[in-house]
Amino acid sequence: MHRMNDHSSSLSSPAGISRQKKESVITGIWLATALVAVITIILILGFLLKEGLPALLEIGLREFLFEEIWTPTSVEPSYGILSLIIGTILVTLGAMVIAVPLGIGSAIFIAEIAPRSVREAIKPAIELLAGIPSVVYGFFGLVVLTNWLRITFDLSSGATWLAGSIILGIMALPTIISVSEDAITSVPQEYRAASLALGATRWQTIIGVIIPAALSGITAAVILGMGRAIGETMAVLMVTGNAAIIPDPLWNILSPVRTLTATLGIEMGEVAIGSTHYHALFAIALVLLLIALIINLSATVILGRIRNAQMGTGKTPFLSHEVKGKVKTVCLWLACILLIGVLTVISGLSGALLLIGAIGAYLLIQRIITPKITEKIAFGMITAATGLVLFTLFVILFDIVSNGLSAITWEFLTEGPRDLGRSGGIFPAIVGTIYLVVGAIAIALPIGVGAAIYLNEYTIEGKMTKIIRTGNDLLNGTPSIVFGLFGFAFLVIFVGLGVSLLAGQITLALMVLPTIIRTSEEALKSVPDSLRHGSLALGATRWHTISRVVLPAAAPGILTGTILSIGRAAGETAPLLFTAVVFSKRFLPDSVFEPVMALPYHLFILATNVPGADTQKYGTALVLLILVTGIYAVAVLMRKHAQNTVRW
Amino acid sequence: MTGSVNKPGFPLTYCVGAAVLLLAITLFVSGCVGNDSPEERRTISVTGSTTVLPVGQAAADAYMDTHLYDEILVSGGGSGAGIKAVGEGTADIGMASRDIKAEEKQKYPNLVEHVIAVDGIALIVHPSNPVTTMTMDEIKAIYKGDITNWKDLGGEDRPIVPVGRDSASGTREFFYEAVMHKEEFVRTQQELNSNGAVKQTVAQTPDAIGYVGLGYLDNTVAAVTIDLNGDSVVPNIENIKNKSYPIARGLNMYTQGQPSGLVKEYLDFLMSVEGQRIVAEQGFVPVQ
Amino acid sequence: MKQQDNALETKALNLYYGSAQALIDVDIQIPKNQVTALIGPSGCGKSTLLRCFNRMNDLIPDCTISGSILYHGEEITGRSTDVVELRKRIGMVFQQPNPFPKSIYENVIYGPKVHGVRDRKQLDEIAEKSLKGAAIWEEVRERLHDAARGLSGGQQQRLCIARTLSVGPDIILMDEPCSALDPIATAKIENLITELKDEYTVVIVTHNMQQAARVSDYTGFMYMGRLIEFDSTPVIFEKPKEELTENYITGRFG
Repeated sequence: MHRMNDHSSSLSSPAGISRQKKESVITGIWLATALVAVITIILILGFLLKEGLPALLEIGLREFLFEEIWTPTSVEPSYGILSLIIGTILVTLGAMVIAVPLGIGSAIFIAEIAPRSVREAIKPAIELLAGIPSVVYGFFGLVVLTNWLRITFDLSSGATWLAGSIILGIMALPTIISVSEDAITSVPQEYRAASLALGATRWQTIIGVIIPAALSGITAAVILGMGRAIGETMAVLMVTGNAAIIPDPLWNILSPVRTLTATLGIEMGEVAIGSTHYHALFAIALVLLLIALIINLSATVILGRIRNAQMGTGKTPFLSHEVKGKVKTVCLWLACILLIGVLTVISGLSGALLLIGAIGAYLLIQRIITPKITEKIAFGMITAATGLVLFTLFVILFDIVSNGLSAITWEFLTEGPRDLGRSGGIFPAIVGTIYLVVGAIAIALPIGVGAAIYLNEYTIEGKMTKIIRTGNDLLNGTPSIVFGLFGFAFLVIFVGLGVSLLAGQITLALMVLPTIIRTSEEALKSVPDSLRHGSLALGATRWHTISRVVLPAAAPGILTGTILSIGRAAGETAPLLFTAVVFSKRFLPDSVFEPVMALPYHLFILATNVPGADTQKYGTALVLLILVTGIYAVAVLMRKHAQNTVRW
Repeated sequence: MTGSVNKPGFPLTYCVGAAVLLLAITLFVSGCVGNDSPEERRTISVTGSTTVLPVGQAAADAYMDTHLYDEILVSGGGSGAGIKAVGEGTADIGMASRDIKAEEKQKYPNLVEHVIAVDGIALIVHPSNPVTTMTMDEIKAIYKGDITNWKDLGGEDRPIVPVGRDSASGTREFFYEAVMHKEEFVRTQQELNSNGAVKQTVAQTPDAIGYVGLGYLDNTVAAVTIDLNGDSVVPNIENIKNKSYPIARGLNMYTQGQPSGLVKEYLDFLMSVEGQRIVAEQGFVPVQ
Repeated sequence: MKQQDNALETKALNLYYGSAQALIDVDIQIPKNQVTALIGPSGCGKSTLLRCFNRMNDLIPDCTISGSILYHGEEITGRSTDVVELRKRIGMVFQQPNPFPKSIYENVIYGPKVHGVRDRKQLDEIAEKSLKGAAIWEEVRERLHDAARGLSGGQQQRLCIARTLSVGPDIILMDEPCSALDPIATAKIENLITELKDEYTVVIVTHNMQQAARVSDYTGFMYMGRLIEFDSTPVIFEKPKEELTENYITGRFG
């Protein structure tokens, strides 16, 4: 190798080659982490197929999917899940109708309207909503919400589709708000400046520029929220009444319904292993996964469209602009006519006339009132939406705190349970939950961030990323109860971990992995390329650039994902049910191979099977809440620190 | 597929990826094999029906109070899960609030059944409901959907809201056989997954009727007296013991083969006078 | 210059970011239908001054001002000033081209739409007129519905100028509009600025002294928050009165 000039090393020196090798090794590690989600989902799918197929073969696919009657334990059993599929779709749709406007409204409030001090108070408060365990939501729904609905609407029972949608809507809110808020905040300041400089009001700027620019992030938020809603088991089964019927008429939101997850949640534990019923439940889980897949795939397509349209990287659109405009108008009219038609059917002519009147009034008002007044109205509504969300949080918290405070004593916090938790304390459960959550995050965070780094930094979009993303989306749509079953079949029995702390940690880690990957990826994406190029141009290696420049800049977003995950992991019951927990344990676990107590499970058993433990039940919920808040507080402080040190 | 920047290392990238994954899986599996429990402590695990869990836990607590080096871990995920766990060997005892099914027997032929208690199932209504006595036929008619209004039973003119257990529950299965005589439930029946949830719902729903284990009766709900050919039978321990109350079933524990060691000691304790006293304390009916 | 109408005028303008003072007693008169350049070293307050004219400083928390700013003789610093209307009349072009992530057409009609123009035909006309006004019409007429972010940097900046023109302002503020562009794109923008002064008053902040000399009729030199000197461009560049100005012009500091 001859020397080209006076520089001490040539451009293809051994040092350079070894550096290249090191880079390859690092890339390989990230690829491996990215594949974890794919491998998990393949294992889950395989497992569901293996267990579900016998039922499909016996029942017949058509009968299974399109028969309405689900009576698996009758003398002449019927295994039709149509009513369950419809129940799932209806409850999820209802939840989205509630959560999407409220969630995006609150996100706008936090990101654009609220003064800094208010924002810094509200943001963690809303993230706290995510930390409330689903059992608590379910219990709150059962005791407070359904009762309120029953009295308000003068029903014979408040356990309805509406109740399910409200609870799931509330549960999806933190995800939608946090992720949308991040997306809105990451819209470049120049867009705001440009719009305002044109004389647009703040509201016009938000609606005309910021929301469209943040649309991909907001869509991702809605999908994540929907994933949470569709996979939720414990809360929904406590409030929807679980009657396996199709509402009559279909839009009767006051009818009881039953979802696919609720069916799994209530029947999976009791069903006889190996029976047709058992296999049919796995087939249900499969159907649920497929529904999640369809939602995610269509969302991916939409997301791709949005990005292409904004960045001008797309191919020529199929329809010309003019045709598209016309199609849009036609669709709008059709939707209007349909809506009016539906309203007429439901509430007679008066309802339809009312709607027509409202639309007319809106159009008229839009012409008369100034943008300033529109802004005032819009901001008022958004503030009200945020207020409603906070009020809900307050009601739930108040319920838990007021009922649970009397249970909190030194003994309660430091001793083991006695008399089935009716007396004594919950110390081993506190420790168990901390072990589970910390372990799960310790496993999921490096894998998730690694996967996000691989997806965003080390590869360009192609088949591989598509596979990884699809796998991740599927994993995100997998209901927690399926994770529980998978954990039991794979980790506990096949791998031989037994019912143990480790099995629970891994199961929880797999469950929160998609959230971490998704939010980390969004965070990495929001780091401007100029930063990367700046570092690379200085001769830094790719890994050096990522670890020193990109990751610190993305840390706040990654921490948001982690915070959401902690909340989720701490509050979950279903995945632990068969993998990690025992009701009572005298000694703290010596190793990760021993089972543990966990707060949500303790709460679940107290709430459902131990009469006379009301105070302890609320006390446990309160401790769980305080614990999650504590972990949150640390994470929020870390995020704040990261935000303050990183600026670009 | 990959950016040109790391093209030189492209195949290596994939090799390393595969290697890391393999390594992780190997570590993972091997880590689990050397899993032996400490010598000095005897530990068994009991899992299954959440209905039986209170008895199992309370007995375990009492046993461990006098045997400091033994640990009995009780958890509940459902009867089926319990039978599966003991069948697969991940638990030592499986609890079930129903009898083992043919499919399960076939899969795990060595399971041995131990009946440890009897559970009486009481019909409950809202305390404000004037209807407090029913015949077995009337109960069946309500759950079949033939009687849908309380006025047909001498109550107010309000629709009846039947609340039941989920289709996999042992309680429901027993109810299906003992009360419904295997005729179908009305499809608008609300289905909840625990005794606690059923009681809670009935306690706050004036028009509801539900069924729960005897241990759940308290003053927030009213227990229905059953009219057996003119004899009024109240659901209580005494009436179940003397078999005059018609809706009662056994609670079971299953072991893999005949029990030995701590498993046997624990089951023996459950069947002892002390153990059966605990059964009664938890609101169930002793079998001895 | 005394006979001319002033489009903008400040009197004893002081501006503070928190407790740090960014503008000190600035008195400036911006003549109508002329190009006025503001030059000075980084951090001298020229951009801050520019942003006072359309009240963009309102967006910065704890930014306070004293003194007065007159727009055609009308005070615009008060609470009662309609900021929306003000910004409609005083447009702004930013340092980085910042088209919205929408199509070219949607970018241009964003402003008119915001101000209540609904008629499709009218919007089309405005779009064409504005794009022509920004000398970019010929380049984009065939691809109006493509994404604006797909244009080159120079095209993006002209699109941003077109977007500014679309709402019919009479003053255009330009904050280093060419600093992110190559010489050819810069030349196009400079030509455009010269054309614009027939109809508009232009205030341009620039780092580039040659640019100021080429395009402007008047130049103000700012230093450490003060307006050191303001005069017609030839005077400033050939025989400045202040030593500071001369030092800066001749490149002896800054």
